[in-house]
Amino acid sequence: MSSSIDFLKAKLAEYADEKMTFMEVCGTHTVSIFKSGLRSILPQNINLLSGPGCPVCVTDQRDIDSIISIFENSDEKITIATYGDMMRVPGSISNSKKRSSLADLRGGGADVRVVTSAIQCIDIAERANNQVIFLGVGFETTAPATAILIKEAAARNIKNLSVYSVHKTIPRALRALASNEIGAVNLDGFLLPGNVSVLIGERPYRFIPEEYNKACVIAGFEAEPILAAIVELARQTKFKTPEVVNYYKEAVSADGNRHAMKLTYEVFLARDSEWRGLGEIKASGLGIREEFQDYDAEVRFSIIKTEAQVTGCECGKVLLGIITPPECKLFGGACTPTSPVGACMVSGEGTCGAWYRWNVNYQR
Amino acid sequence: MERKLSAITLGHGSGGRLTSQLTNSIISNFELVNFESEDCAWISEDMAVAMDGFTVTPLSFPGGDIGKLAVCGSTNDLAVRGVRPDMLTLSLIIEEGLDMEQFTGFMKSAADTCKLIGTRLIAGDTKVVPKGAADKLFITTCAIGTRISVNKLGSVRIKDGDILILTTSPGIHGSVLAALRFGIEAPELISDCAPLWPSLSPLLNLDVHAMRDCTRGGVGTVLCEWAESRGLGFEIEERLLPKNESAASICDILGYDQLWLAGEGCALIAVSQEDAEECLKRLKVSSVCREAAIIGKVYNKRHGMAWMKTHIGGERIIDMPAGEILPRIC
Repeated sequence: MSSSIDFLKAKLAEYADEKMTFMEVCGTHTVSIFKSGLRSILPQNINLLSGPGCPVCVTDQRDIDSIISIFENSDEKITIATYGDMMRVPGSISNSKKRSSLADLRGGGADVRVVTSAIQCIDIAERANNQVIFLGVGFETTAPATAILIKEAAARNIKNLSVYSVHKTIPRALRALASNEIGAVNLDGFLLPGNVSVLIGERPYRFIPEEYNKACVIAGFEAEPILAAIVELARQTKFKTPEVVNYYKEAVSADGNRHAMKLTYEVFLARDSEWRGLGEIKASGLGIREEFQDYDAEVRFSIIKTEAQVTGCECGKVLLGIITPPECKLFGGACTPTSPVGACMVSGEGTCGAWYRWNVNYQR
Repeated sequence: MERKLSAITLGHGSGGRLTSQLTNSIISNFELVNFESEDCAWISEDMAVAMDGFTVTPLSFPGGDIGKLAVCGSTNDLAVRGVRPDMLTLSLIIEEGLDMEQFTGFMKSAADTCKLIGTRLIAGDTKVVPKGAADKLFITTCAIGTRISVNKLGSVRIKDGDILILTTSPGIHGSVLAALRFGIEAPELISDCAPLWPSLSPLLNLDVHAMRDCTRGGVGTVLCEWAESRGLGFEIEERLLPKNESAASICDILGYDQLWLAGEGCALIAVSQEDAEECLKRLKVSSVCREAAIIGKVYNKRHGMAWMKTHIGGERIIDMPAGEILPRIC
């Protein structure tokens, strides 16, 4: 153990003289915090909640149903491409006749591909004789790649490629959490996402300290900088001096990556979006602009929107920090990483998945 | 309690919990079974058999190909139980259209690997299927051998206080394949695919209790299986693990846990405290195990659990992969 870790632990103990609740917004932070064992060395007074920053976890189950319905109701062959974590996210699982996840769909013989970059879909579409749909998921981090895909498809006049966008944006969700309009626990501060901040910069977070008096630190993904960020959150909280502090300066500037954001909004525009567990958040999603509607799967295909099924899963309360995963009655029994009910269990970045897999203090 | 899956999924093949469910569902059909959850099965006091099927995309990879892999896979399963692989059978399912020169190359590399181990080919079969009915080449091998170790090695012999040794960095083969499949360039990354026999033979007169080939499901799965079957606690320390920077980077990029990825020449060893240093010394002589290191210890606490002491002095659980291992979004 390095001496800097010891120093940070001592500082944290000094600042955290009363109970403090912080939320790590980003799923990659959640993973790093659990995998590095950081949680196990935090003082009792620090309550760390995992927020809505795992794109898989906040994808509405009806969106999974919709893309499966396109596949099932189309007369022609369809290839679906998406990022790996989306494969096992269950849609409406209580309807046993329907295939529940994209992995189930693939198991039934459908052509479902895992890509690591959206642009790979160009190659897939050019080789295929059938319609290819990319399920575009993720925050400001992956949206530019989807924008490039759509622009490239338009430039090459590719006719058999479209995008089903479930892209979402972070600042609106943070406002919903900070203002407590969606019933979250009272937070003292946010550990802000590293990846998203690379794109949007520091500015879009300033309303959090200014309007809601909550501490904010942007951090990278190694255990040590995360711990340093938690120390800074505790310091701001103790001395009541909330501001946006950037501990990830090597990658995040005040303005972010303007080029990528411009590109994103050339193709997308803000629309209301349903967040699994959190409900609808105004202008928090990215829909495809009309000028690119030839590439919008929601325009190209007829989509049957289903009603959300009641699963008994308490993902919402977990995402809002109202309960910890083991307090959900499905956790560890009906809902495990092998057969997840809620999306929070599917992804390695989901709160429940991380608790189940890595939390040494939770005895199964 | 768990939801029943209606079809076989790729998750059933990932070596984790779904795989255990699948094998259990097969075994339950048979009346006469003599099954222990280990790498190979005893057919007499001194003879053992191991069987393994191989399919890999792509067929060739840095450090090996499907031919070498097929021989290493089943013979390594014998080697880790102190059994010298004497004989091998080889069964091939070949897809119509496979390049002849490529095919001959795979068979030569299988033959070369047999020579290295000292294994004789005793039986085989070939089937050619129409294009599309198989993915280029499937190989099944069966290895038969003679016990050299004084005691039968196996997880039942693992005790409180045993030292855990890992023979190379975890998950290298899996990282190589992941890099190839997802088009990530990693020129320095070479598969650990290698025969563990004869490298493990010098250990067999030491007080070694169990060894396991950390293939599908990785080191993490072996630790969990040992912890659950023995009801003891297995602790490893992150800073002690043999490092492979390239494999670690690939896992970082894709969001994989290196402990869940397969090695193909990587064994986990449980040895008595007294013989641990000697065991390590003898391992390091062999080129296959030169990076071997003591990585942890068995405890009589946290029964049935495996965990890791992390580099920052924290702790986390080690679990098995829950299904197909998939790359993350960002």
